[in-house]
Amino acid sequence: MSLPLKYSARSLVERRGTVLMTVASIAFVVLVYLGVLSLAGGLRSALATSGDPAQIVVLRDGALSETSSFFSLERGRELMTLPGIARDADGLLLAAGEVLILNNLPREDGSMSNVTFRGVAPISFRLRPELAIVDGRTFRPGSAELIVGRRLSERFPDLRLGSELEVGRLTFRVVGIYEAGGSSFDSEVWGAADALASAFRRAGYFSSALVRAPSEAEASALIQRIESDQRLNLQALTESDYYARQTAATTRQFVFLANALAVIMAIGACFAAANTMYAAVSARTREIATLRVLGFRRRNITAAFVLEAALLGLVAGLLGVLLSLPLNTISTGTTNFLTFSEITFSLRTTPRALISGVLLAVLTGVIGGLPPAWSAARRRIQEAMRAV
Amino acid sequence: MRKLVWRNLMRNKRRTLFTVASLTMAVFLLCVLGALLQTFNPEETETSEKRVVVRHAVSLQFELPEAYWGRLETLDHVEAVSPLSWFGGIYKDTKPQNFFAQFATDPETLLDVFQGMEIDPAGSAAWLAERRSFIVGRALAESHGWQVGDEIFLQGEIYPTDLSLVLRGIFTYPSDESQENQIFFHHKYMEEALGNPGTVGTYWLRVDDLESVPVVIEAAEAMFENSDARVKAETEQAFAASFTEMLGNVELLFGAIGFAVVVSVFFITANTMAMAVRERIREISVLKTLGFGRRQILGGVTAESAVIGLSGGVLGVLLALLLVKAAARGLSGMFPLFSAMTLGPDVALPGLAVALGLGALSGFIPGYAMARSSIVEGLRKVG
Repeated sequence: MSLPLKYSARSLVERRGTVLMTVASIAFVVLVYLGVLSLAGGLRSALATSGDPAQIVVLRDGALSETSSFFSLERGRELMTLPGIARDADGLLLAAGEVLILNNLPREDGSMSNVTFRGVAPISFRLRPELAIVDGRTFRPGSAELIVGRRLSERFPDLRLGSELEVGRLTFRVVGIYEAGGSSFDSEVWGAADALASAFRRAGYFSSALVRAPSEAEASALIQRIESDQRLNLQALTESDYYARQTAATTRQFVFLANALAVIMAIGACFAAANTMYAAVSARTREIATLRVLGFRRRNITAAFVLEAALLGLVAGLLGVLLSLPLNTISTGTTNFLTFSEITFSLRTTPRALISGVLLAVLTGVIGGLPPAWSAARRRIQEAMRAV
Repeated sequence: MRKLVWRNLMRNKRRTLFTVASLTMAVFLLCVLGALLQTFNPEETETSEKRVVVRHAVSLQFELPEAYWGRLETLDHVEAVSPLSWFGGIYKDTKPQNFFAQFATDPETLLDVFQGMEIDPAGSAAWLAERRSFIVGRALAESHGWQVGDEIFLQGEIYPTDLSLVLRGIFTYPSDESQENQIFFHHKYMEEALGNPGTVGTYWLRVDDLESVPVVIEAAEAMFENSDARVKAETEQAFAASFTEMLGNVELLFGAIGFAVVVSVFFITANTMAMAVRERIREISVLKTLGFGRRQILGGVTAESAVIGLSGGVLGVLLALLLVKAAARGLSGMFPLFSAMTLGPDVALPGLAVALGLGALSGFIPGYAMARSSIVEGLRKVG
């Protein structure tokens, strides 16, 4: 015969004060864990929403990112003559050669970071339909004008609407602010490829090209065609693979940090749970003995206490989850070390992270509760009855 | 009184031990976070060597002309100039443990700029003589098991060329072992492989004394003010800090984590002390009846929890001291920066203070309530 769940739950309520303190300490462990994971979650979501599996990023062979890639305009034009690139309804080729420039600019707090300036072709907008101007207007082709992702603009004072930026001997003006659905394009500055390339003295080169296959299924054939062309010496991968590769590189450190913190803090919290449960056991020595006399078996009693500790963990986990929810309103930025440039993102607690957070708390409770539960059941009945 | 505090601590040994253990973990964590944060913000260390780094004003994606080399050498107070280009090639694969710093440089001037670098004469001569050779810091050579004469292959990522290099010397850097995690090879060898573009990533300048550093920075930037490639000059420390700066607000992140750790452990110790005091209500009332004053009661309980706090603090610091080297080694695979991580008194002492303060506060709160409680009520309590 096992003890009802109610017994364990009631026991927790009975000792509200000390239980709440323990719940709070475990909830903070969960909060830290979820807080750090929300950084990884935010980055992952920014990179995962960038990239269309039917679109192909073309880079110099050997380059891991657009930052270190460059090839001549002629090679870029040759690339665009390859068969298998999609065209739109008007017969326009869906392929854009782009120039990527890193510009070291101050953030609002004065620290410096590399900002991605993407010199684009008119067709580039067609290849990123998620991009929409929310303030001001788009740049005029060939002019020294820029548009900036909203989140990036908020972090960099030099990139506000109307700001002027000196590049070489030219002065660029920010004429528009755009949003790109939380993708990594939100962390970029766009301008006309020719204007940016000449201002930064990068004329004659593309950094990368983005080409569209007619469908997702035809993308791999197009990739093969590009990579097998000996004259080009270029590598190609789908846009979604390109950003997925960055996900691992950027989130790794946060996932590692979250796990390390969780383990260390949870060990500390286990001791707290153990203290609480030991106190619960010793306060109920006679009660436990009575239960034994009534015919409950040792394992029933152990189970009831483990359950009590698990419930304590569960409450703590849920509290931690609740406390972590406001994190989702925060947006921040860091450097994507694969592209060596700033990426802005919103913190995001993913369902998976939330579930692991709750599990972490339950596990903390159970591990802390096991030894006291064990000892509760092992007390000799007569001795226990005699205890005050 | 001291005896009473001790007896009380020993009354429930397991509880005391567990609370100390929780505090130990918390202080350990605070110390490690503090040490990590310090590696992000290395203080301006007092060295005899004063170096200035010159790079392209736009960003490190842009290179400087080779012609700047000779011009920088003409600046007043500059004693030596050496080019350093970050090759960033892939050794074996892209796994973090196979990542290390690779610089193309000029062997003739490198040691003039980095005077703390030591290399045996034979290795130095062989390195100077052979264009395809490279030198490596002892720490990095040991971790990869490289011997003089070994060849390595680097696949170009930033530069469109692959390089095959042969190890000719192992250097040490006694004043700063973190400098031993890199390799240097001939700038001229890379230039040839690239078809002589005539560019250099950064120039490193050794300045004659500390006072001249700002002068040199200003002069270097002014020198190329009207050139196509304007430059940014900064101290070596500022240059190093610019990379960690790019990570974003690490201080805020670590600060928030540290704060949560402290709050969490406060709940733990406060809970323990509340339990400890609650079960002693009758006893404390007896003490009061015997003539012990409120202050003594409060002092006793506070001292008791302060001892818990301090023990946890000391153990946490000891644990951190023991593990910081291992942690540095483990972490350096993922973030090479952390290989230099050490735990100094400026991190350990605040860690101890926090533990002591938390302990004392945790005892003070229930102690205060208890000291003010009525004797009669207390005596009436059962269990």
